[in-house]
Amino acid sequence: MTTPIDCRISRRDLILTSALAGAGAALGGARNAWAQQKGLDIWWWGEQELPGLQKFVDSSIAAYKDTTVKSMLQDTAVVISQFQTAAAAGNAPDIQYLWNGIYHMESVWLGYLKAMNGLVKDDIIKASKPTILSHFGGNIYRLGWYPLPMFWCYNKVLFEKAGLDPENPPKTWDELLTACDKLKSSGVDAIGGGIQDGYWSEWYISHSLVQNLDNFGEMVQLFIGDKDFRDPKYHEHWVKLEELKTKGFLNKDMSSLELYPGIDLVVAGKLGIGQTVGTRLPADSKATGGKIGYMVMPVFGKGKLAGMPLVDMQGLGISSNAEDPAAAAAFLEFLNSPERLKAFWDTTGWLPSNTTFDASVIADESVRTMWQKWGLAPNISNITNLVPGQWYERAAIPTGQKIVAGEISGEQAGELASDVAKEWREFNTDMVDNYRKWADDLAKM
Amino acid sequence: MVMKSALRLQPYFYVLPLIVLLAFVFGYPIVRIFEFSFKMVRGVDGPWIGLRNYELVLSQGLFWESVLHNLQLLLAIPAMIAISLLVSILLYERLPGWKLYRIIVFIPFILAVPIIAVVMKRMFQFSGPVNEVLRWFSLDFMALDWIGSSNVALWTVMILIIWRESALGIILFLARLMSLDESILEAAKLDGATWRQRVWHIIIPQMRGVIEFFAVVSVITMLAAVFAYIFIMGGGRGGPGTATMVIELYIFNALIRTSLPGIAAAASVMLFLVSVLLIFPLFSARRRARAEEVGTQQ
Repeated sequence: MTTPIDCRISRRDLILTSALAGAGAALGGARNAWAQQKGLDIWWWGEQELPGLQKFVDSSIAAYKDTTVKSMLQDTAVVISQFQTAAAAGNAPDIQYLWNGIYHMESVWLGYLKAMNGLVKDDIIKASKPTILSHFGGNIYRLGWYPLPMFWCYNKVLFEKAGLDPENPPKTWDELLTACDKLKSSGVDAIGGGIQDGYWSEWYISHSLVQNLDNFGEMVQLFIGDKDFRDPKYHEHWVKLEELKTKGFLNKDMSSLELYPGIDLVVAGKLGIGQTVGTRLPADSKATGGKIGYMVMPVFGKGKLAGMPLVDMQGLGISSNAEDPAAAAAFLEFLNSPERLKAFWDTTGWLPSNTTFDASVIADESVRTMWQKWGLAPNISNITNLVPGQWYERAAIPTGQKIVAGEISGEQAGELASDVAKEWREFNTDMVDNYRKWADDLAKM
Repeated sequence: MVMKSALRLQPYFYVLPLIVLLAFVFGYPIVRIFEFSFKMVRGVDGPWIGLRNYELVLSQGLFWESVLHNLQLLLAIPAMIAISLLVSILLYERLPGWKLYRIIVFIPFILAVPIIAVVMKRMFQFSGPVNEVLRWFSLDFMALDWIGSSNVALWTVMILIIWRESALGIILFLARLMSLDESILEAAKLDGATWRQRVWHIIIPQMRGVIEFFAVVSVITMLAAVFAYIFIMGGGRGGPGTATMVIELYIFNALIRTSLPGIAAAASVMLFLVSVLLIFPLFSARRRARAEEVGTQQ
């Protein structure tokens, strides 16, 4: 039964509730309006390695009508530190450019990134191929943006001159040694590049150490102390590099050249075989009239990952500071729309990371084949993205440089790598547990 | 009484805004660096861990290797002083074309370090112009892997540092020479003193203050201001291997590349304290140089 008082109170409550609801709606509307006015922030990197990306970002922002987006191109040296500092202060952008593996996983462990699953449509996440290095604790923390296929390249003209079949590059280590011998006999430097800035050393590990691994978790176990670089299986790749050095197959100026001038030697017909990255292929192929071939590193290892094409992936993520993660996710989905994928190709001349990309627009046969063999076929990610920074700087880079300079053996490189891994554990006691969980995750995938 | 106290404090009030500004610009970062050196920093903060960062830094071989390389670079200072003295005295003697020479020797100091380091790096490549010239003169045994060999790379960087930093010495020494009392040198000439005797017994003694000043500045440079040289010549990593790693790059790597701000802070604090200790002889040398100059002018 309802009394008049009850009715009166009810009416007052109704008025009060209406007033509150109205105020709430007004405030909410104001907040939405404010959010719309504020729009999205995206901090990105990549123009440095992929000229034209700025144009793509600008055109995407101009074409996006749901909200305003402000972009900032980051400097290479501060991509991670700038984001982490801002995230700790609660001022991180909504969308952040993320390199693969540890380069964003540390931010995941610090709680600065949101999981993409549940925010971005599953089919888009899958098509963007963020790689297994973006998985942690059952979540995915990145969307793939553009791929970086990594391979060995060779000069077909030099192969022909040396009596080698330019369409059938070496597949095994023994075949490689034979090819190097013939190239050397023909009067050119057989293999190498430039290692002065260290990146050649990193790429060599990406291609070679993986050959004796059965899964990516095994790589992480080398740092947390469950495995050891002193085990011949885990430094055989450096022994192989030493072999190339002692047989005189490496170019003599390798130690004083940087990575890209080293690759230029292959393009210029002064070096038989080198290491390169997919983004160079369109230009190099054009410059040589299609005379640059590419291959998976010849196999010596016995691990399950040996002989697989290698594709690294640059990506984008959503920060935990994002006020409207759904809006950020919507913009990322927009970047993966067919029209934007085509715009990516048109502005950068390079492939977007999406398996639904219509590759028929690629005119260069070698680039299209590479996309099919590396991008769409089963491939593996870059293991050096699992490497802690300390080990990267103190072991990954110096080992290769010292072997190439003839200063240490492959076995000594293993000892150095093991010592630095131990040192890393001492310096980063708080990180070892996270790495262990990550190793467990990766071993299961 | 109150009035007197207020008058006494008045000057301090005038400089107070500047002191506050300086404290904010320099004091705050220094305090934060000291604080970080006692923390395990992740992101922008972390837990207190006492002296652990210092223990880790001091027990790391790479840190001591970096210190050793900085100390090795000190060997460049006598060469820089000798070259600067010689060139500045020759310029002072007004050799034919001395004005042109003066411009040429100043140019390295005008150009930014990264520019000359990039050019030098090209020149010293194994297949670069320096080795090409040596080979052309059949001096193949001297065509070294200047920047690619661990045994040679630091000395190559030192050559670059000597070349550029000597320009500062020449500028300073020449300025001091210009203020010398020429009548003494004229008198010595009339008395039959040779060029060598004039330099050794008249010029150098009068330049003692400015030489000391340049030496102390150079010590500070070698310990705390060679980053740009090393970064470019060492492939951005103090390479090959760790052959050109110095303390500044060690700090940079710890902060930017290995995400260890606490370690970077501990190493920075140690470098800061050493630099502060060097400031006292610097001020003392500067005072002496000024006193000499004033004495000469009077």
